[in-house]
Amino acid sequence: MTSSLATPPLSDDQLAPVRRLLAGATAEQRQWLSGYVAGYQAATETRAAIPAAAAAPVAKLPLTVLYASESGNAEALALNVRKVAGRGGFAAKVLDMADVTPADLVGTANLLVIASTWGEGDPPQRAEAFHAALMAADAPHYEKLHYAVLALGDRAYARFCEIGRQFDARFADLGARRIADLVECDLDYKKTAADWTEATLRTLAERAEPAAAVIHVDFARPAAVEAADDAPRVANAEIVEHINLNGSRSDRTTCHIALSLAGSGLTYQPGDAIGFMPRNDPALVEDVLHVTGLLADAGMRDALTQQLDITTLTRAQVGAYARLTGAAALRAIAADDTRIADFLRDRQVIDLLEAAPHALSAAQLTALLRPLPPRLYSAASSQLAVGEEVHLLVARIGWESHGRARHGVASTDLTERRRVGDTLPITVKANPHFRLPADGAAPVIMIGPGTGVAPFRAFLQEREASGARGSNWLFFGARRFTHDFLYQLEWQDWLQSGVLSRIDLAFSRDQREKVYVQHRMWQARRDLYAWLRDGAFLYVCGDAKAMAKDVHAMLLAIIADQTGKDTDAAVAELRALQRAGRYLRDVY
Amino acid sequence: MVKLSANETIKANSRLLRGTIAEGLRLQATGAIADDDTQLTKFHGIYQQDDRDLRGERARKKLEKAFSFMARVRIPAGVLTPRQWLGLDDVATERGNGTLRLTTRQTVQLHGLIKSNLRPTIQAIHAALLDTIAACGDVNRNVTASVVPQYPAVHAEISALARAISEHLLPHSRAWHEIWIDGELVADAEPEDEPILGRTYLPRKFKISIAVPPHNDTDAFAHEVGLIAIVNGGKVAGYNVLVGGGMGMTHGEPDTFPRTGDLIGFCRPEHVVTLCEKIVTIQRDWGDRGDRKHARLKYTIERLGLDRFVAELTERLGFALAPARPYRFSQTGDPNGWVEGADGKSHHFLFIENGRVQGPVRDALRAIAGAHDGRFILTPNQNLVIADVAPEQRAAIDLLLHQHGLSPSSVLRRNAVACVALPTCGLALAESERYLPDLITALEAEIARNGLADEAIVIRMTGCPNGCARPYLAEIGLVGTGPGKYNLYLGGAFDGSRLSKLYRKDVGHAEILAALAPLLAEYADHRDRGERFSDYVIRARHVRATTAGNRFHADLATDLTV
Repeated sequence: MTSSLATPPLSDDQLAPVRRLLAGATAEQRQWLSGYVAGYQAATETRAAIPAAAAAPVAKLPLTVLYASESGNAEALALNVRKVAGRGGFAAKVLDMADVTPADLVGTANLLVIASTWGEGDPPQRAEAFHAALMAADAPHYEKLHYAVLALGDRAYARFCEIGRQFDARFADLGARRIADLVECDLDYKKTAADWTEATLRTLAERAEPAAAVIHVDFARPAAVEAADDAPRVANAEIVEHINLNGSRSDRTTCHIALSLAGSGLTYQPGDAIGFMPRNDPALVEDVLHVTGLLADAGMRDALTQQLDITTLTRAQVGAYARLTGAAALRAIAADDTRIADFLRDRQVIDLLEAAPHALSAAQLTALLRPLPPRLYSAASSQLAVGEEVHLLVARIGWESHGRARHGVASTDLTERRRVGDTLPITVKANPHFRLPADGAAPVIMIGPGTGVAPFRAFLQEREASGARGSNWLFFGARRFTHDFLYQLEWQDWLQSGVLSRIDLAFSRDQREKVYVQHRMWQARRDLYAWLRDGAFLYVCGDAKAMAKDVHAMLLAIIADQTGKDTDAAVAELRALQRAGRYLRDVY
Repeated sequence: MVKLSANETIKANSRLLRGTIAEGLRLQATGAIADDDTQLTKFHGIYQQDDRDLRGERARKKLEKAFSFMARVRIPAGVLTPRQWLGLDDVATERGNGTLRLTTRQTVQLHGLIKSNLRPTIQAIHAALLDTIAACGDVNRNVTASVVPQYPAVHAEISALARAISEHLLPHSRAWHEIWIDGELVADAEPEDEPILGRTYLPRKFKISIAVPPHNDTDAFAHEVGLIAIVNGGKVAGYNVLVGGGMGMTHGEPDTFPRTGDLIGFCRPEHVVTLCEKIVTIQRDWGDRGDRKHARLKYTIERLGLDRFVAELTERLGFALAPARPYRFSQTGDPNGWVEGADGKSHHFLFIENGRVQGPVRDALRAIAGAHDGRFILTPNQNLVIADVAPEQRAAIDLLLHQHGLSPSSVLRRNAVACVALPTCGLALAESERYLPDLITALEAEIARNGLADEAIVIRMTGCPNGCARPYLAEIGLVGTGPGKYNLYLGGAFDGSRLSKLYRKDVGHAEILAALAPLLAEYADHRDRGERFSDYVIRARHVRATTAGNRFHADLATDLTV
């Protein structure tokens, strides 16, 4: 512990007795202590405001809502459960898996778990440690625990709701009692989640002893209202600037898009994302209409353009379409796990439709398709600097598979089809886990190749405008220095003014050997570790599949190299940094 | 006391050409180096440039100018081994823009090197046993020499002399090695001195060439020092000495002009290096350090008079030069194809349009370099000679050239030379390398119509008046004045001994063709037997002959418009 990177706000002298006490305490004692400290804090803060006599304790049913969140959906649901539960007479608290260990839950009576699944069946990154500890052989036993799990996922991925399923099974293995079956949610989770909330709270309340003060539970309140409560506010924002930042010789298109928020009432913080509902590629819409024989249906054309997902292909859709058409070949594929996995690879809805062209009714097609999900882009600006505007950095995505040119739905819409003067319906999606340090003097290290640099432009704008004194270090990478150095002149200005203390750049295609940000990190490892030791907050934004993994591995290598310790110790140190909120990632 | 030009201060403060180049290379966020350092890197053979085609879009895209660097190799007499050629070719692919550019000073330029690739490039050049020291800057530039491998002994002697002069006049500063090769600076140590060049180096660039009559491929009259080998019985007896030649001028400033060198005598071979050193030191001491447009030796000689210059040279040498010996130049252009040498070896003169090595020519040369154990010699006409080929190897070389689809060019095209100009050269006012091929194509039709297809007419084009392609010594010279506009000069002697004269001012493509078409038709009809185009236009009084540099702007026709 002594070499932990998580710098506590206490001197070593102050910490020593605490450490001694904790080292000798049982898990139960530690649990009590944490509650004691929280209670002490609450009591001392509210002492002046509330007369002691008014604080007559009411026996409420305790409830812990534990979530594992990547994009914030699970977290928002957890907060909503607390709200509903509070009205229902529960004493509910919400815990982020990032902040607790399985041992912390020993002694908990009522637990609702909301867990998303990320990527190919992985836990959200901030829940990785909890997940690993819960799955480990030495996980604690939960004999008093009653629980239910709500799993969030996306049917487009093979291992749908995998993490929720694992938690659900694991808590039972560890002796806890399941009070409701696992509920799995696809992208349109709100109604299901509201129903689950209502059902599980009712079960818990009914389970409680009649003597308990859980009364007047008004579960008749329509669940849909709860869902509407946290529906984000949508506002129309006009595009006031639309610039491809890549040079004309680049093979990339990355647009700087400035949106006016004037009159919208929307506000955002650096780190937040902007949600937007894209429109599908008109050519692809025509292809779908053509193959389904719906070319004459204007209403369907509209729905396919604006409301339905006509790209993402799921296993369920293959089965449904096979049944719908009765096509033998598709039925055979749908019946075989290996073949369906092969079929799904790099294919989209249009490939399914064209595999067995069949006339569909508008209703059949609508039922087959999923709703078009909104897309999120990190704000690339700070309102302290740009006022009633928000800037987005959008890379056009395109590829080819199975002989067909594919286009990223939202990125192509924004970069190719939207122009200055157009308006976009947008929402603000808060990202409370990707915030600048509250202390402006804290140093900040930002690792953001490609469009991952977007929030860091917002960070620097914010740090500059707020007069934050802390040092700022940026790692950026792209293909070529000359043509792909996004926002080059702005970084130069910030280097000149001292807002940006240091920049390290990796351009992969300027020389024969590929160079990426993690290689620059390794070259700068002494300084990088020194910054971390001095309390730096480290942020990573961008590609999750390769970059974030490589950067994570490099951080472990750097810690091991600089401390002279083994990998396990490096893992622990990095985990401590994460727990301390100083290693933050926004990856996608 | 004359106010010194800004460059003089930069040089004086540079700690012998170091400046802050090394620091600038470490700054990652910009592809440029500090302004002052851009003057100093020239002394290391490196020019900072930017892609001028892209200037319009950069700021809007929040990008700085598309900076890159050009590195020019020092190759005395243009002689390379095939292995060295491959080394340069490799690094052009890996770090540069994938082309090699041969120059009129028999060197190779690598273009499109971004800053992060600059040190690795120079190191690769160094690994090929070459360097870029003093390939640009206010120093003695690459020493050129006639490409006459067909006279093995003579060519060996002048190549060795070119190398000896080049080495002797190199800066003594270790800066190049420190910055580009070793990567370490000797802290605050300036152990070196510059006994010949001086600590502020020369006032301006300085050029030396060696010609072997009747070949004037090096344009002997166009250099600070033009050495003309006098060969007796197959041996070099010594060199006639020309001083004060030079091409560059500035549009609209008639006190700047190209100048042909003055013949001042004959020098024995063993004294040539010393002779060059003494001329350099006179220019070092007497050259104009206040105005870079008047800083070359030609203006020093104009200002002080040739007699005073020669007297000073005699003083510094400790002896007087002997009287010049008779010589005769016949042409400035290169032969084409195979030339057989006295020793039985053959040499293939390969035409390379505008010296730009890319595509099939580049592939062919790679293949030949891989199979060939002779030499590659770069010519002052931006061509390349595959030298020292044994008779039995000729067929193999021919086959390789044929396999790469290299087809013969017209006589007109083979005698055309253009500088680099746009998009990389910061001085260019108009296109040159990218435009001349099209102009030649248009002229070829005119030439054919007049039955002149077999006549060599020297055409040279530059994008600005600084004269890299020596346009003022061409029979037809075109010098850029603005986008798509050129001054048209006529009357430069075929053998390179006489400057041209302005014929049309600020003309574009159509006007150039309209101006030349009737002259070519007239020449075809009225020329005397063996009469050169340039001599004809003077005889027919289309332009007056330019008899000396200081008469370049004189005797113009009253109407220079079409």
